Amino acid sequence: MSSPSHPLSRALDPVARAAIAIAGTALVVMVGAQAWQVFARYVLNASPGWTEPVALLLMSVAVMLGAAVAVRRESHFAFSGLVHAAPRGLQAALKTISRLIVLVSGLGLAVLGGQLTIDDWPVALAGAGIPAGLRFLALCVGGGLISIFALERLLTGDFVAPAPAEET
Amino acid sequence: MELIILFGVLFLALAMGVPVAFCLLAATVATALYMGTPMIAIAQQMGSDITSIALLAIPLFIFTGELMMKGGLSDRMIALASSLFGHVRGGLGQVTVGASTLFGGVSGSAIADVSAVGGTMIPQMIKRGYHADYAVNVTITAALVALLVPPSHNMILYSASAGGGVSISDLFAAGVIPALLLAAALMITAYVVARVRGYAAEAFPGFGVVLSRLIAAIPGLLLVVIIFVGIRMGVFTAVESASIAVVYAAVITGLIYRHLSWRAFKDACAAAARTSGAVLFIIGTAGAFGWLMAYLQVPSMLVETLQGLTNEPAVILLLVIGMLLVLGTFMDMAPLIIICTPIFLPVVRAFGVDPVHFGVILLLACGIGLVTPPVGSVLFVGSAIGRIPMTQALRTIWPFYLACTAILLLVAFVPALSMWLPNQMR
Repeated sequence: MSSPSHPLSRALDPVARAAIAIAGTALVVMVGAQAWQVFARYVLNASPGWTEPVALLLMSVAVMLGAAVAVRRESHFAFSGLVHAAPRGLQAALKTISRLIVLVSGLGLAVLGGQLTIDDWPVALAGAGIPAGLRFLALCVGGGLISIFALERLLTGDFVAPAPAEET
Repeated sequence: MELIILFGVLFLALAMGVPVAFCLLAATVATALYMGTPMIAIAQQMGSDITSIALLAIPLFIFTGELMMKGGLSDRMIALASSLFGHVRGGLGQVTVGASTLFGGVSGSAIADVSAVGGTMIPQMIKRGYHADYAVNVTITAALVALLVPPSHNMILYSASAGGGVSISDLFAAGVIPALLLAAALMITAYVVARVRGYAAEAFPGFGVVLSRLIAAIPGLLLVVIIFVGIRMGVFTAVESASIAVVYAAVITGLIYRHLSWRAFKDACAAAARTSGAVLFIIGTAGAFGWLMAYLQVPSMLVETLQGLTNEPAVILLLVIGMLLVLGTFMDMAPLIIICTPIFLPVVRAFGVDPVHFGVILLLACGIGLVTPPVGSVLFVGSAIGRIPMTQALRTIWPFYLACTAILLLVAFVPALSMWLPNQMR
């Protein structure tokens, strides 16, 4: 088990808290955008075109940041039956390999997501008038955070749940 | 060779305990590298999949479930179910099934159901002298009802995994009768087991109490009506209905029931974001995996192989159900739906099974996996609440497994049970 007072974990606590706060806020704004769509259609008699692309952008933010925090908490769906049944030494080796795979995947997503963001930036997103490259920005940022949190798990070991008041 | 790499890496990584989403990504990347496919195409596919309009409703329904769970709605459902079913022998078991059915109808999540209803009912049953294994078994199997009734986000996941061509409103309607059948089968099982074990019945509180508890539960129960009728009548889309559901759930639990504090609301936002991240990230990586699988013509190969074995649709359906039950024992529900739908749906379609009907079968089969070891998240949560080892619950769960499996087979081989309601509503 890693100590919650490990300097790297302490440094990443606010990052994780900010990520989940942004993801949660994105969900709330998504709800607002869709609710506004219904209100505008039936009450104002005008369907705004921006709600759908904006909601999709917000979903990508919520998903990628939520997925990154799930990497930190090691709460992604996994089949861990065989790992738990393995001897302690093998268990540690398998966990290391697993975290390395997550780290490399995150790095890949960050680099490729960044490339797609830059490539699509000059194009405007239909309906919203914002750069289409924004669709891939969450992939880039989320990928980066995934690799950072996977590195934290590699260096500090298993996730230790914080006290409720400081839960991320 | 490509297929060996694709499935070899996938199963190897799964066995090593790598998170499912990253197993799918690793398998896709390894195969793409072998085939010389540019990596940017995989990232592009993933980026498109996590910004797909078909998926927008999933995080919102997950959010609704979290708000309902943290907003005290389960207490009203338990009170209502208690006054309706408590006087039957083994009354608290009946109350649990009844409350799970009512709460499942607003949370749409088996985990939320077992946490909210089980959190109250399991300790109460144990306190009244029911055995802990009975309390856990009846609660975890009752939670499966939530998978089949609107607003089940698993139904939307299935629809999205099927390529978005399966109507969500048809799926919502198709699940209603199987859900009620499952609840009835579990109530009968709970009654029989309670009789054998000699559990008592509770006193009937009187019609006045039933009425007052019904009135208290109505605002919560209206959610399912709003979603179902709203989509069916074309008032709003599935995505819009999901956002209306969030707003409604927040208003009901925060302003009417006054149970949802600001802190609980923030916790619900964070929990919904984490769960949505875990579920939808798999959809993103499964999208890239599925794209490669389609390119390598895996579903059509599977259809041809099965057609070589038999031409009998019933046998094919049994084979698919068998595979789903086995896979369900070691894989969680969301990844199972995402991975298996694009593989098995073309197979059963080729044998004349309606995709809406198959959706109900798939959800029920995968749901049974949620209460089977070694990977059964609902079983884990239920055992943890009952404070008993998983093995203790499993020793006496077989009557409940039998009831679930009987309903699964009934639903699979009597399509009218799923298809009658959506056909009537078209």
